[in-house]
Amino acid sequence: MSDNKKYLKPVSVHEAITMSKVCGDDFRYIAGATDVMVNRRQGNEESFCLIDLCGIDELKQVTVKENYLSIGSLVRLDDLKKHAAIVKEFPVLIEAAETVGSPLIRKSATLGGNVLCENRCIYYNQSEWWRDAVGYCLKCEGNICIATGSKKLCYSEFVSDTAPALISMDAEIEIADHEGERTLKLEDIYTGDGVCPRNLKKSAVIKSILLPLQREFHSSFHKLRQRQSLDFTSLTVAVSIDKNGKLKSVLGGVDPKPVVVEGNSDSNLEEIIKLALKGSRAIDNEMFSRNYRRSMISVFLKRSFEKLIG
Amino acid sequence: MRSIKIKVNGRQHEVLIDEHETLAHVLREKIELTGTKIGCEQGSCGACTVLLNDEPVLSCITPAMRCDELSVTTIEGVSENGELHLLQQKFVEKGAIQCGFCTPGMVMTSLDFVRKNPHATVDEIKEALSGNLCRCTGYKKIIEAVAETIRPQQHPAEANGSKPHNGRIVGTGMPYIEAAKKVQGKAEYADDIRLKNVLHCSFLRSPYPHAKIEQIDTSAAAKLEGVKYILTGVELPEKFGVLPISQDETALAIDKVRYIGEVVAAVAAETEAIAKAACNLIQVKYKPLKPFFEIDESLNDIGTEEKIHEHVKFNNNVHKKAELRFGNQEEGFQSAAFKSKMNFEFEGITHGFTEPHAATAYWDENGLTIITATQVPHYLHRALSKVLKLPLSRVRVIKPYVGGGFGGKSDPFPHEIIVSYLAIKTGRPVKVRFSREEVFISNHGRHPTKMTMEIASDETGNFRALDADIAIDGGAYGSFGVVTTYYNGVLLQAPYKVENFGFKTFRVYTNKPQCGAMRGHGAVNSRFAIETLIDDLAHQLKMDPCELRLKNFMPSNTLTAGQYRITSNGSRESLLKVMEQSQWKERYGKLPFGHGLGVGCGFFISGSALPIIRNELPQSVVHLKVDFDGRVLVTSGASDIGQGSDTMLAMIVAEVLGISMDKIFVLAADTLLTPVDLGSYSSRVTFMAGNAAKMAAENLKKEIINSVVARKEISADELNLADDCVFSNDRKIELTWNEAIDFTIAHRGAINVSGKYISPKLGGDFKGSGAGLSPSYSFGAVVTEVKVDPETGAVKVLNIWGAHDCGKAINPLAVEGQLEGSWHMGLGQAMSEQVKYFNGLLINSNFLDYKIPTSLDTPPIHTNIIETADPEGPFGAKECGEGAIHPIIPAVANAVFDAVGARITKLPISPEDVLQKIKNLSLPNAAQVNV
Repeated sequence: MSDNKKYLKPVSVHEAITMSKVCGDDFRYIAGATDVMVNRRQGNEESFCLIDLCGIDELKQVTVKENYLSIGSLVRLDDLKKHAAIVKEFPVLIEAAETVGSPLIRKSATLGGNVLCENRCIYYNQSEWWRDAVGYCLKCEGNICIATGSKKLCYSEFVSDTAPALISMDAEIEIADHEGERTLKLEDIYTGDGVCPRNLKKSAVIKSILLPLQREFHSSFHKLRQRQSLDFTSLTVAVSIDKNGKLKSVLGGVDPKPVVVEGNSDSNLEEIIKLALKGSRAIDNEMFSRNYRRSMISVFLKRSFEKLIG
Repeated sequence: MRSIKIKVNGRQHEVLIDEHETLAHVLREKIELTGTKIGCEQGSCGACTVLLNDEPVLSCITPAMRCDELSVTTIEGVSENGELHLLQQKFVEKGAIQCGFCTPGMVMTSLDFVRKNPHATVDEIKEALSGNLCRCTGYKKIIEAVAETIRPQQHPAEANGSKPHNGRIVGTGMPYIEAAKKVQGKAEYADDIRLKNVLHCSFLRSPYPHAKIEQIDTSAAAKLEGVKYILTGVELPEKFGVLPISQDETALAIDKVRYIGEVVAAVAAETEAIAKAACNLIQVKYKPLKPFFEIDESLNDIGTEEKIHEHVKFNNNVHKKAELRFGNQEEGFQSAAFKSKMNFEFEGITHGFTEPHAATAYWDENGLTIITATQVPHYLHRALSKVLKLPLSRVRVIKPYVGGGFGGKSDPFPHEIIVSYLAIKTGRPVKVRFSREEVFISNHGRHPTKMTMEIASDETGNFRALDADIAIDGGAYGSFGVVTTYYNGVLLQAPYKVENFGFKTFRVYTNKPQCGAMRGHGAVNSRFAIETLIDDLAHQLKMDPCELRLKNFMPSNTLTAGQYRITSNGSRESLLKVMEQSQWKERYGKLPFGHGLGVGCGFFISGSALPIIRNELPQSVVHLKVDFDGRVLVTSGASDIGQGSDTMLAMIVAEVLGISMDKIFVLAADTLLTPVDLGSYSSRVTFMAGNAAKMAAENLKKEIINSVVARKEISADELNLADDCVFSNDRKIELTWNEAIDFTIAHRGAINVSGKYISPKLGGDFKGSGAGLSPSYSFGAVVTEVKVDPETGAVKVLNIWGAHDCGKAINPLAVEGQLEGSWHMGLGQAMSEQVKYFNGLLINSNFLDYKIPTSLDTPPIHTNIIETADPEGPFGAKECGEGAIHPIIPAVANAVFDAVGARITKLPISPEDVLQKIKNLSLPNAAQVNV
């Protein structure tokens, strides 16, 4: 039995979007493929067509565009450290990227792919047989959240490690889809709905990540995980403060979307922690308990503030 | 389907592939380069690593289409013109290869790393390897191999795998005899075996934990083209189990299912895909029954609900109760000055061997043959004979290279019986291989356990009494469980002298995958408990916990409370060694808050003195055959699963005969060609097969000497065998090995001699006295150093100092590897590993969520071999494969106590638990401040 599924390999963004139109809705872009191929193996991703973006060279550049550093979405996580501008201006991005997966994963995985990393839940990231045995959850067309019993909301977690670091530095993303091109604040693409965690059109291709230059960020990064390699995040905390004292705290791993709390160096830091806790809808859906992860939010934020503000 | 052009190891291939096929699948199945291993199929074990245009990729998650027009280097392409790459040489030489299943991926990752990082530090090597899981080595020797590739040593003669010193082989570190094969990806594991015209088998597994099977409709599946046979449980009604007293499992579920994942139907089809598709078309009607998931539920009367097994005596799900008492516990506790009593909880853990189960069976004029990843060909042989109703003489079990076992491949398994039956029924070879999820579901791992233990001492710390109440969760079937039930208790009677000792253990059935034997079998959790109590007792006594242990160690040549015969005993030497290395006296109790040292000790059997199936046959036999070419063929049923038993046999034979290793050929674990050895379990192989090999070699030596004596005028005791020669003391007679063999064959024909091992009669005459009896016991100690973050509760192990009394290290390189692997596995149980269930469904059945420590999670390991020369072991040797896991786990927990005062009573150690305990400890202080 051979399947007749399709694989396409465009060489330009334009061609990718054109190909996506031909495939209707039944396709999936892949970049590093480290996330999608695992989801396919487990039956959580069954698109008829894979459109492999890895041949699009225009997405592999790191350039300065006006006041921004533009990092092509296909720059591999392992390669970020090879760009002097990133090392100098945005070292926290490298710090965050180095915590993703394993060294082997990072040699394939891309920055664009990581910010689009699919939300995770221990009741969802399982084989077809497993999900059939437990009864399908909201994220795989079932009618109940196994973790909470909720009939409405899926709380699968947002697990990108690089996105919190990027958002803390006011990153924007350049997107192209069949309607054209636009630039959005990175945090604005996340919906907070675990079933459909991003509001991008299916045909959308991230072209680049834009990071503002001359803001002189100081940043801190923490990731909670059981092992020092391989593990997805149980809580990511990225905090950046710029030369004007603008402070941005971003949490991952404790909500279907990144939790963002802004302030400045004079803000009541206890208040920021409170808001962060209030914004985080962590549930018991992984190996660390909800309570523990929530209590670590305060610890990690306090440590970040101590480092950045003193 | 599309055609791609792919250059693999310099050779151009044009391959027709499914467009979503992975590179790993294309390499293994289409190009037939099986050196690239598949361990997890989700990029989290690294066994499949290859180089794609000189960059490492995880081939199990790399789309093959992406590789069109690109070049791939696999493990088969690393050595050139038969010459190993320096990195491969170092892997071999440093003992970085045990089971060898992770080796290809490890080598590919390291190869890329050493090319790009010619000045890397050890920390950078650890980081680079942290996406490649190894379950055997604890990474230590792998890291050393990579480091030495980067900076070759000045004095290669000092390397671990050096040439025999003083002409002696025993006692010299030797790379495994098959290491070069493994490091080039040439060693064939069960899934690498390629037979012609093979059918593939797939299973339909139960989605219910406890349910009646009302109907199975296979009609739709049968119509699928390519389906050759659909099997359901009724065809194989005969029960089996590894222990004669627990024959409670059938090959497939009949009438009812007892755990989620139990095999309900099996399909043999032309391809794996067809077999899987057919399974999905089988309709099963279940009637759910009340499931039992918790120990307490299964211990109690279950009212009107249906029991898991009908054969259980009472109206509950208790599988086995074991109770033994010695001395007078009541008096011991009453007269004691200090007592410590705690409740403990242990999650189940599982073996995590990197090679998933796989097997191929075929039927021909010689009957049934199965090639399977097993630790116990002999017991599988018996089980196949029983279930398939075949005479023993019509069954052959072949063990190929096995990618780790740790107890997890030591039961006869349903899939082995099923493919054997299907091979008979279809007349074609039938193959099965498990996904990683199926491996986890099959489990047979360490039992989840609850226990209460109490220890008492007099004013000066002499142990007066010990008592344990234990309940273990066996899952759906018996496996080794009866033994586990006893081991939890009986293996508390050493290394400390306690006359007033007793325990009671219940093993219950629950509706979860069965538990069985895993490294350190049965004794690991109760060892954790007693070592924790001793630490607490020392605290009460205001005594150094090492001193308290030294005070209570039993001597050599003594009997325990339950009449185990202790011969050599290196407890004291082991503990003193790790105390010295860790600067225990200078540092224990004196480190700042958050930083601590902890200690644990342990002991283990060196082979079960009683065979599983009671009989008078030898527990191991070794044959030696020599013909005109002078090569000695060693045949043994012993199963090398990565622990190095083939090499051990060769070394012993070479040592006795005074010949070099290249004159030895080992053929092992093929039940047609090799004599019976009971298998790789209970740490018995070096002791028993080693003794049989030694006796066989001594018999061969006698034959040779007798032949020389018959020909030359010399008395037998004047003759020596050494340096590939047979010579007299005065050197008047000096024959090469081949000349001596010619003499011998001329004198008595080509030679076949044997040796055997049978345990001495041991033990008391009470019921249960056989549990834990062994001809010898190993002893050991571990000190660990930890740092605890008092705000997060996170524990980081900084150092492991371990010492283990293995009697005599026949192959020190292999012994170190076993010890380091044990300590690493213990670290996993201490820190991160657990099997977790949701309504009976295993939640973390993959290497991402089941957390085996990576290289970055493994601290420096300081390894010490202690030698005490056992009177009955071959050259004084005893076990080293399991005993070392016992002391490390409590050593970590006791270090946490030293660091922050938090007493750990649950495994794995969770930061949440540690944090809560730290908070509780600070409460009274906080209150004082407020007042």
